[in-house]
Formats: sequence, structure tokens, C-alpha cells
Amino acid sequence: MTTQLTIPRLEMSMTEGVLTEWLVADGAQVNEGDPIYSLETGKSIQEIQSPASGRLTQKARAGETYPVGTDIGEIA
Amino acid sequence: MMQSQAQAAARLDVEPAVLVNIYRQMSRIRAVDKAIQAGLSGGKFLFSYWPMTGQESIPATISQLISKRDYMVTTYRGIHDQVAKGVPLAGLFSEALGRFDGVNKGKGGSPHISDPSSGSMLTTAIVGGGAPIANGLALAAKMRTEDRITIVNFGDGATSIGAVHEAMNLAGVWKLPLIFLCQNNQIGEYTPIPGYTASKDFASRAAGYGFKGVKLDANDVPAFYQGMKKIIEEVRRGEGPIFVEALTMRLGPHAGVGDTKELSREALQAAKEAWPVPRLRAQLIEDGISTEQQLAEIDEAARQEVDAAIAHALAATPTPREETLIDVYADPSVPPRRGHYPRREAEAEPGSGTGKPMLMLDAIREAQDLALEQDAGVFLLGEDIGDPPGGVFATSRGLQTKYGPERVRVTPIAETAIIGAGIGAALVGMRPVAEIMFNDFAGVCLDQIFNHAAKQRYMSGSATHVPMTIRMMVGGGTGGYGAQHSQSLEAWLLHTPGLKVTFPSTPFDAKGLLLSCIFDEDPCVQLESIRLLRGARGEAPAGDYRIPLGVAKVRREGSDITVVTYGWQVQESLAAAEELAKEGISVEVIDLRTLVPLDYHRVLDSVKKTRRALVVHAATEFCGFGGEIASTVHEELFSTLKAPVGRFGADFAPIAYCRDIELNQIPQAKSIAARIREVIAFK
Repeated sequence: MTTQLTIPRLEMSMTEGVLTEWLVADGAQVNEGDPIYSLETGKSIQEIQSPASGRLTQKARAGETYPVGTDIGEIA
Repeated sequence: MMQSQAQAAARLDVEPAVLVNIYRQMSRIRAVDKAIQAGLSGGKFLFSYWPMTGQESIPATISQLISKRDYMVTTYRGIHDQVAKGVPLAGLFSEALGRFDGVNKGKGGSPHISDPSSGSMLTTAIVGGGAPIANGLALAAKMRTEDRITIVNFGDGATSIGAVHEAMNLAGVWKLPLIFLCQNNQIGEYTPIPGYTASKDFASRAAGYGFKGVKLDANDVPAFYQGMKKIIEEVRRGEGPIFVEALTMRLGPHAGVGDTKELSREALQAAKEAWPVPRLRAQLIEDGISTEQQLAEIDEAARQEVDAAIAHALAATPTPREETLIDVYADPSVPPRRGHYPRREAEAEPGSGTGKPMLMLDAIREAQDLALEQDAGVFLLGEDIGDPPGGVFATSRGLQTKYGPERVRVTPIAETAIIGAGIGAALVGMRPVAEIMFNDFAGVCLDQIFNHAAKQRYMSGSATHVPMTIRMMVGGGTGGYGAQHSQSLEAWLLHTPGLKVTFPSTPFDAKGLLLSCIFDEDPCVQLESIRLLRGARGEAPAGDYRIPLGVAKVRREGSDITVVTYGWQVQESLAAAEELAKEGISVEVIDLRTLVPLDYHRVLDSVKKTRRALVVHAATEFCGFGGEIASTVHEELFSTLKAPVGRFGADFAPIAYCRDIELNQIPQAKSIAARIREVIAFK
């Protein structure tokens, strides 16, 4: 089963976030709950935990701003 | 070692099956929390979330000590409370995802769950706003001599706000069967203790209000269970409210996902070690109560229940926009809509000789008397409404003597507590009538009125509603009450979807409208002019009669201009019309009587005939109700009008104490007549 990764809405006012850093390499194995990337919102930088276990495919470059809901990768 | 033996002994005092059930509830809460966080992180869900990770043991434990019959009020950080109270998970997830089959039709969302079938009565996103309402739920149970208790959950952050203090004081004086459950997670949103309080603890505050406060460690589940068991028994026996400070930790952030950032790395580590979910799990195995296999089965069952609920919610129909105006009121024709002006049937004219002369204050007293007599759910509450003095304007004189202090309830000087108690009792079907001495005091209870009473039907998708009435006296034109007791603030109320507002000008209307309000299914505010309470004399029939809400009345027929007005400005407008008749100007005066629902039908009919209009009110002209009415008349009748519709309200200043200003800053007969002449003179 493939789990999509999209930029989450973490705060009521959040419309976009900066994917500051991938914490897991493209193609690497991750476990549910592992920090997978850092997301900077207006207020803070937060490590986002993996919603599933599997192999990560990155689809978006780190260091850029993406609107909430943008597809940035998947775990298969 | 000693401590761990003592703890093991405490565990042995709790039925093993109870501990397993507590764990089962914690496992369900944990599964819900994990699924939401995964869904948010993965982008599957897009909603705001205030995680309660770390606080699971509190409702999980309480769930073993109460039933669905017991009432609960909680806050936006309350998903754990909802799960343990028994709100169905499919309906809960559907609600969080804005689906039509959510427990509240997707209109409330996760921060506003109401599910009366499980006893989850109201969830507020206003910090501390639930406590005054919980008083009303507890009051209803007490007045009906039911054995239910009410538990109001709030965070430590809520201990700073006035609503909680007002509620504690009232619960103390009324000895309500209520538990103030402070889930002290040590952090108020982004500000940890002691950043926002110098208090050493919160439990000790209860003593200041004359009842018991208890501090319990919610991370030690068996001890917490023992403590709560005693407390719940005591409250159920009717020994009055108890404040519980349940010590816990918030492992997550104020909003969003992951770990809290308000704790140091070390403090977070320690909090995770004390976290009761894994801790009780380990204890159950250590004490030989459960095997790893059995607990894994509980966890798996919880996960499957959550997965099924999410699958259901994702497949459910999103709430459609056609629902926008449904659930604002019981009757979907009430919300004002451009182009929709329903004609509501007027009351039958009273036969001649059926009335007896009375003052408006007598009419209001009679209405309350009749309502109290015919419905055991009706009760009055307010400052000084008991005998003597029977209300500062004597509108309840004699009623406490007749119906007793339970049904004519004197309150502390605490308007938030008054309105909250009314809301809570109304939520479970009582019909409270609250008196707010002056319209200006709306400022100290507006949150209860506009965030709670007005919005509850909508936020709950009509799972609950608030059939309460608020009477507010309106000063002005009386001379010398000063700026804080004289303002006409109806525009604040009219701007709030969910409220109905009446403003009578005669004793006949005051009685008939108030009776309609009291037996209406929506929250109603009746504004009563102090000038009219003692100044308006007229006939009103004895016995019950109702004036339908939303029916205006032509007080004087005329052909040159329609004056649209209400409240004490009706008398002034009629006096102006009399004056102008001498000059050959024929003025029609329409008394709106009800401001929401507004009778545009009769207003537009009148202006079609006269082709001119002036709206008159005692409230400030700028941003007043007159602007709304004038605009609609322009939009509907532009080509018919002989002159622009005029507005006439008070000057944009606080009401002055000195007589010369006060009597002239508000429209009065002379100035209304002058304004009418201006409209008539338009070429």
C-alpha cells in the first residue's frame, strides 16, 4: 500500500510551509513514527514523522516553499 | 522500592478488569491520536488538531466510573474525552472531516463535538467557556432530582479566565453536582507554568469558593481511579461540587503533530517515562493481570475500530453548501435572505373589554408568572430577582414568594455565570429566563451569548439547541443613568446569527412576545426599555396569549412616509406623527416588535404605499439597524421611492449624564419630526 506524503496543515492559519530538509534519503527504508523531513511554518520548524513504514520516494526538493496539500513524496 | 510496593498494593485494590478496561480506553484514544497525526503528516487529513497525547488516562479512568447519563463538557483539546465518553468513532471522524453524517453534520468539527446520546453535551473552543454552561447542566439535573453528575474538563490554562471563576463561585453557592476537572498539563497553549500564574496549585483555589479541591496524579492510574471514585461518589450524593486538579503532561504541541516544543529535552523524556499509556500496559503485564498477547489484541482491536471509522468517514458525503442556512434556527425561514421576505401570520386582535390596564413591568411579570405556572421546566435567574425587591425594576415581584427560590433563582453579580447556567439548563430541555439588568452589561457576558447560546444549534448540527430567553433592560432617555447604563446595543445582537431579538413598545406586546420567546426553541433576547417599564401603560388580556415572532404592526396609518421603528422610539415617532398631521403630513408608523426575524414583508408593503421611509432608533445611527433596513428598502423599491430612505439614530457618542445632552443626543419627537420633514422635502 502506498502512502502519499503531502504538506500538512499544522496550524489553523497555515497555507504553506518550507520543506527545509529531508531527514531520510531518497529510496531508504523508514519506520512509522521516524522523523522523515523538517517543515518550517510561520512559527517554527517541526520534524514530521512518517505516517507509515516502507521505502521513501522523494518527489520535491528541500529548501523550497510549498502550499499545503502539495504532494512531496510517498512511502511504498 | 517502598513506593513501588505501595503502588502495587494500590493496584491490587482496583479490580483487575477495571484496569484492563481503562487500558482498553487508553488504547482506543491512542489509536485515534496516532491515526489523526499520521493522517495530518501524510496529508490525508487537512484540519486543525490540538493533540492530547499524554492525557489519555484521565477520561479513560473516569469512563469506568460514570455512565452515558452523566453529562460532560469539554474543550477543543478533548478528543480523548469524546472517545472515552462513548462518542461513536465513525461519527467523530466524519465530523472532523466535515462530513454530513458526522455527529454534528460536519458543521461543528472536532473542536465543537456535541453528542447527547453519549452525554457529551458541548465542546467549546473558547478557553474556560464551558464551565458556566456545565453549571446549567448540573442545575437541571439537581432541579429534576436526577442522580446524574456533570464533569467539565478544561486545561490549566483555563484557570486564568473569569468564566471559570464565576462558574466556580456559582457552583459553590448552589451546591451543584459538578466536577471541575482541570487537566493540568502544565502548559497553557505555548506558555508553561509559571509564565502565566503565581499560584502554587489550582486545587487550593476551590477553598476560596467554599468547596473542596483535590490534587491527583493522573499518571498513576490505579491511584487516580481510587481518588476519582471517591470524588464521583461524593458529588453524586449531592454534597456539592469538587474541583479536581489532575496532574498530567502534554507530550504534543499546542496545535499540529509530533512532540511539544514547550518542554526541554530532559523534561520531555521524563514526561514520556511517566506517560500512563505504556506505563499501565507494563504494569498489567508485571502484575500478571494481562499477557502481552492479550494487550496486543486490545491494541489491534482499537486500531481496527479506528481504521474502519476513518474508512467510513473518507467515503462519507461532505456537507453540502445547501446546508448553510439550516440549523441556524429551528425554522430555516428565519435567517434573513435578500429577496426572501416571508409573511408571518399576525396574532388575533384581542376582543374589546378583555384587557386590563397595566404597566409594562406588570405585563412582563405576568408573562413570567404564566410561564412558570404552566411548565415545570421554566425558571428565572438573575441578580436581585427574589423577593424583596423582586428585580430592580420589579419585573418579578412576588414570583419568588409564589414559586420558591429554586425556580426564581437569585444569582451572584456575575453575568457570564448567569447566561452560562441558562445555556446549560436549556441544552437539556429546560426553559430558563435570565435577566440581565442593563443592556450595557452584555459586555461582560457576550461570549456566552454569541459564541455559545447563539451558535450551539449550528455547531451541533441541531443535535442540541438552546431554548433560553434573556431579558435585558435598556436605559436611555430616562435621565442620569450615565454612559454605562443607557446604551441601546441591539446591533451587537442582530449581527449574531442564531439569536432572535424582540423589543416591545407596549405592555400588550411585552407580555405576548415574552411568552413566545420563553416557549421558542431558539435563544431569544427581549430588550425592555426602562422608560417604558414604568412609562408605558396599556391594556393586556389576562391569561396566556402569544405574539408570533417576526410580525410588525402598523401603529398609525399614513400615506406620505413610513417611519420604521421599535422600542421606546415608537412613542416618540407617534408623537412626531401627531405633530406633523397638523401640518398636513400623513405619517405611517410601523413598530417592528421583533428585530430578528425581521418582518420585511410588512415594511416593504408599507413603503410601496407611502414611497418614502425613515428608520428611527435610539441606538447610534452609524452602523445601526437603520442602515440595514434602509439598504434593503433601497434595493427592493428604488424605482418606487420619491426620496432616499432616511436613517435617524443617536449621535455617535456615549450617552451623557447631563440632561441636556442625553435628551437631545437620542431621537425624540421634535427631532424625529424635523427629520421626517427633510425626507418629505427631498426633490
